[in-house]
Amino acid sequence: MAEKPDVKALVETMPDLDSRKDKKGKVHTTGKLTGPKWPDAEKVYEAILDGGREAVAAVVDLLEPIDDGRDYKARYVLAGLAAFVCRDGREKHRAVYDEALASRLGGDRPKPVRAFLLRQLQTAGDKSAVAAAGKLLLDEDLCEPAAQALVAIDPKAAGEALRRALPRADGPRRLTIVQGLGVVADAASARALREALGDADREVRIAAGWSLARLGEDGSVEALMKAADAKDRWERIQAARACLLLAEKLRAAGKGTEAARLYKHLRDTRRDESERYLREAAERALAPST
Amino acid sequence: MTKRGLTTTRRRFLKGTAAAAATVTIVPAHVLGGPGKTPPSETFGGALIGCGGRGGGTFNDLKRRHKLNVRRLASCDVKFVGKADNKKVYTDFRRVLERKDIDIVAIATPPHWHALISIAAMAAGKDVLCEKPMTRFIAEGRAVADAARRYGRIFQIGTYGRFGMSRNDKNRMTRKIMTSGLLKPCEAAYVRRGGFKVKMWSGRVNVAPAPVPKNLDWDLYCGPSPLKPFHPPRHGGTHRWYWDYEGGGLGDMGQHHLDPLTWLFGKDGTAPVEVEASAPPAHPEVAGMWAWVKLRYADGFTFVLESGEWGQPGGTTSRGVKLEDLDEAGRQKLKAMPDPEPLVGFGEAVRTRKQPGGDAEAAHRTACIMHLANIAIRTGRKIRFDPVAEQIVGDPEANRLVNPPMRAPWHL
Repeated sequence: MAEKPDVKALVETMPDLDSRKDKKGKVHTTGKLTGPKWPDAEKVYEAILDGGREAVAAVVDLLEPIDDGRDYKARYVLAGLAAFVCRDGREKHRAVYDEALASRLGGDRPKPVRAFLLRQLQTAGDKSAVAAAGKLLLDEDLCEPAAQALVAIDPKAAGEALRRALPRADGPRRLTIVQGLGVVADAASARALREALGDADREVRIAAGWSLARLGEDGSVEALMKAADAKDRWERIQAARACLLLAEKLRAAGKGTEAARLYKHLRDTRRDESERYLREAAERALAPST
Repeated sequence: MTKRGLTTTRRRFLKGTAAAAATVTIVPAHVLGGPGKTPPSETFGGALIGCGGRGGGTFNDLKRRHKLNVRRLASCDVKFVGKADNKKVYTDFRRVLERKDIDIVAIATPPHWHALISIAAMAAGKDVLCEKPMTRFIAEGRAVADAARRYGRIFQIGTYGRFGMSRNDKNRMTRKIMTSGLLKPCEAAYVRRGGFKVKMWSGRVNVAPAPVPKNLDWDLYCGPSPLKPFHPPRHGGTHRWYWDYEGGGLGDMGQHHLDPLTWLFGKDGTAPVEVEASAPPAHPEVAGMWAWVKLRYADGFTFVLESGEWGQPGGTTSRGVKLEDLDEAGRQKLKAMPDPEPLVGFGEAVRTRKQPGGDAEAAHRTACIMHLANIAIRTGRKIRFDPVAEQIVGDPEANRLVNPPMRAPWHL
């Protein structure tokens, strides 16, 4: 049986913080870190990864609840591992890394630590991390890093997880999820997003409009035209933007007639002098190409 | 121009309505009196968003450098909590952009806000002068360029080296050769050594969190970037240390050094296809040291950036471009081609609606160089990039850094 690596000792081999000498020869730390050369770092990473999931988890267990520099070596190693396991031929090591981090996302581990782990999974996570990250979508503090990790790792799986969470989400979590559905252009969320155009929260309405534009469906033309008639000036500007974004997508998909409806709506409703630029943008888009 | 011939297509006479929130009325010349008065079509309402170290200088460039008659009607910064009146002083840029009397916005926030505020400003009908670096990541630049085109707005990046570069005949010949498509293969290379402030902007990793200052809206400061505990260096000039807001010395100085060169070598419509870096493994929060980055374009041209502050040089020598690099037939073809057009300044662009030199597309292509360099440093891998699709090829994990998700409600 392979010997378990001394993870703490391996992490400690990372360089100390940079230092400088003052005029009297006294050494001061600068607080900056010049890391090792890659070949030296790779030896450490290999040794940890060869120790399996438990060895990587042991690095995680070295993290302090607050990022105040005491655990800079452990954080540095975890980030270096994330880059290392994404190399070609490192699939087995990547599975070890992802499983170890995913295993540490639950429980009562401090949230700042779990947020840090989610960001490393955003770099190196694969499908194995989706379930664990998905469970955090309704957490007040971890919804955002979880959503960001999910959309980076696997847009399709992220769409499913976000869609499932949406009915139970409120407040900032609802906003994050509505926007996340747009990031991954989750077509199955179209109806839910159209409903969100009527949300009490202005930011949710704006996010829903943007997300629907990202989906690029002609079924949303009517809804976005209506949203573009908002009275609130910021919302009106953003809703017009959603109309233009959707129109561009529709045109690119060969649905020029539907795109033209959006442009005509903006042309016809932006009559105030302050909105002339939008009218002109719509007119340019409607002009026949020569 | 007669009184009746005056037009106010963009510079408008304001009505003092409650919805306008403006306290200044721009009065047309026909009210003030004729000769010697600036006509209203030449008078602009301006706003400064980001009032830190570079803010005043950026706004003053509108007048000093770009010769625009602009009045600062609004100043906005997330550190104005407690003194914002939402009439002249703001913490929330959205309130500024809602104003109908603002025509031009100068943006001098930290870079993680540059793209979003630029896009929002153009979506609100404003022209934009934006401090460098243009963006924090690649997809932002494309979104800004698209917005400028979509709304018919003028965007200018706040670095001007390409203007000086373009006034030199030898440089104009270099650009002409490089953009002609006649130089095959291209063996030119340019090595930029030093000037990236690498050590200065490599970050400290042992900073303890602290209470958020009472005058700072920390949530709005973080904006699209992750909301993390407040560490004092994250705000103020040392924001440059952090991947969340900038990207070290490459982020800070790259656009200055590289923008004239992308003009010179005709690379302001494309991006490198292969990028390799020599650097230690990157820290997850802060930029660190690096030795060199090599960026090769599809035509063979190569930029090499050397920090001069760590590690060994890249081993490449600069090699310029000469007319003699073309054969006789090529030289004849080149002669028949038009010379590079003079670059249009921001002031002229605003007045005439011509695209300025340093427009969004050109600035984005320059910023791509810095971002690809940082991606190669952060991943520790050689990167291949498709400059048309603007995606990293064959490395989906590295590609996650091309368009990382933003914190809601912020999005491109």
